[in-house]
Amino acid sequence: MASTVQEPALPDAPPEPKGSKVAHEESSGVWYPKWYWPSFASPATIWLAIFFILPLYVVLSVAFGTSDPIFGAPLPVYEPWYWSSSSFVHVIGRFFGAAAFWQPALLRTFVFVFLASLLCLLIGFPVAYYVARYGGKHKGLYLLLLVAPFWISYLMRIFAWQSLLTSDGIVNSILRILHIAPNPIDWLSGKPITVILALVYGYIPYLILPVYAGIDRMNVSLLEAGRDLGASPWQTFRRVTLPQSKQAILAGLVIVSLPMFGDYYTNDLMGSPKTSMFGNLIDKTITQQGQGPRAGSLVLILMVILLIPMAYYLRSTRRAAEGEG
Amino acid sequence: MPSPTERRFSRRQFLYRAAGAAVAVPTLSAILAACAKPGQLPSGVTLLEPARQDRPVTLPLYGREPIATDAPLEEGATLQIYNWDSYLYKKTLKEFTAKYGVNIEYTTYNNMEEGIQKISTGQIKPDVFWTDIDKINKLVMAKLLQPLNHDLIPNLEKNVWPVYQNPFYDQHWRYTVPYVTWTTGVGYRRDHIDDAEVAAKGYDILWDPQYNGKVSIYDDYRTALGMSLLKNGIYDLNTGSEADLKLAADDLVRLLDATNARVSINASYSAFPADEIWLSQAWSGDMVGDQYYLPKGVPTSVLGYWYPKERNGEVNNDTMVIPASAQHPVAAHTFINFMLDKKYAFENFADWVGYQPPQNSINPTELVADGVVPKTIPEAVVRQDDFKKGHLLLELNRDTDQLWFDAWDQVTSGG
Repeated sequence: MASTVQEPALPDAPPEPKGSKVAHEESSGVWYPKWYWPSFASPATIWLAIFFILPLYVVLSVAFGTSDPIFGAPLPVYEPWYWSSSSFVHVIGRFFGAAAFWQPALLRTFVFVFLASLLCLLIGFPVAYYVARYGGKHKGLYLLLLVAPFWISYLMRIFAWQSLLTSDGIVNSILRILHIAPNPIDWLSGKPITVILALVYGYIPYLILPVYAGIDRMNVSLLEAGRDLGASPWQTFRRVTLPQSKQAILAGLVIVSLPMFGDYYTNDLMGSPKTSMFGNLIDKTITQQGQGPRAGSLVLILMVILLIPMAYYLRSTRRAAEGEG
Repeated sequence: MPSPTERRFSRRQFLYRAAGAAVAVPTLSAILAACAKPGQLPSGVTLLEPARQDRPVTLPLYGREPIATDAPLEEGATLQIYNWDSYLYKKTLKEFTAKYGVNIEYTTYNNMEEGIQKISTGQIKPDVFWTDIDKINKLVMAKLLQPLNHDLIPNLEKNVWPVYQNPFYDQHWRYTVPYVTWTTGVGYRRDHIDDAEVAAKGYDILWDPQYNGKVSIYDDYRTALGMSLLKNGIYDLNTGSEADLKLAADDLVRLLDATNARVSINASYSAFPADEIWLSQAWSGDMVGDQYYLPKGVPTSVLGYWYPKERNGEVNNDTMVIPASAQHPVAAHTFINFMLDKKYAFENFADWVGYQPPQNSINPTELVADGVVPKTIPEAVVRQDDFKKGHLLLELNRDTDQLWFDAWDQVTSGG
């Protein structure tokens, strides 16, 4: 029975305008110069150039530059022919090689980010699903409540957690009263679970919102069609809902995992050196005199690492777009 | 080495760091300098050897003269003070204004690096600045300080410990005047741990697994590694020996493994008085100050402070200086002299700061008897002799500093 269920048909998308000729001419016959429409992109282009490409070049110049001989402040070197790769090589040696004592932090970062993103998804998806499909007239209120934590600074909320999680804090008291943990648990002494849950806590709204938007946009008649054609609720979910919300899920995961890779304050406040992550390596290197080039190198390495999930996301959205076209 | 007063920046450190690590942002002048010759010293400046007790440094004047003795006081002006947060008693400042008719504006920095950076870029033009002794060479080489006129600061000779009449880090005190002193030892909660046990174990008690979750050490590479060196019988706290530093770092990793210690700059005055931490690497001034941080109803007798009884632990002081860009240099001299007055120095220490000025009039025995220092922590009183027997964390040359940083890096990377 199940195997006979057909793949749901996608709705017909209006044909995309193809080629540049169409863009240059309106149906009324008004002709626009070639640069007219591309010029609309210039604010964003200028923005990118000033706030991304230029700073990126400064980071490169710092990473391959030197530091001030007196105070050790980073001295970027802007002429590529003066660049020195010694700091970069040193940093690579910290991750791979004989003195690779940064390697555990790198691996830990991957594990923490993976688990935290997964938890965000497992917790966030049902919430987003419920609000989008069954929120009814309270949708607005639910969304408001979801965004409510943003009204208080993340830092403040983490400080609050710090005091809740101390050995004689409320969390331990509740666990004791409920006979779950008779002895107080030392949550803040570098426990991976504390850091992972703190990451989930801090980032989950960023996942819920795009997923909500995705599910909310979904065509309900497709679900009904799935059920009409005899699919069980699980099959409908797996073969209709999930593929339809894949882009939203991916977007949500990218939005939460990218900043998690560079997050350092969550671990600073909820963990210890035993739970150091990549962001902590950057943080402690950048605040140390004379370490500017190494910090710059770390930033570059993190960027390269982040390109991988980003590239996957872009490829996947492109494919989805092509599939719809 | 950040001074103990780094504790003052406490929770704001994250805001500061989150602001994008201002220290790391290259300044325009640095960028322009980089265009010419990356990484060169300013013209006419040679690198000064780091000062040591047996290798005193006479700081060059670079042709600069102190201000004239008969220069008039800038009455009605506003003296710009640039210092750690809460590192001066407001009442003492008001008394200065009342006495000399000079107002005071108090600006704070979160750490030494930020302070120096803002002065060197001209973002802040203070009249008086506070600095650790390991930064003095650098400030002078960068020509950021002005030499002092001794005639305007008679209280130094009159009131301050002889050891500071001609300190090794600034012979003839050309640029600096000492502010406060401290030792670095182990703070312990006497309501949980016996004096005898701490006395018997010394530094080792921080490594004791029975205090798992109850230990903290300072989040400062020099201070933490320095203690580990001392624990291992290495008394050169400015060592350039890779083997010694590796030993110290490995031992600190063992400490973290054994006790899950917190690595924190403020545990000694927050988690410790709150009883979350029972054993804390601690600056003596933090321990004296902790009497005010204890929750209501908790007697000061819970505070304990251990420092080696041979008095051969970590000891240090910081200094007051007048930046070259000071707008009110006469008032600045007057203020420094005022802070060396025995009455005001004592008031500032006993009623607010907790860190002890090196004043002849301050009698260690009386400090305890008068209740300025709680009876249970007499060891927290700094004595002049400590600067002969104790060991100072001093400036390192760049390569050595790198070794220290690498060693600490290993400790804090959670390998």
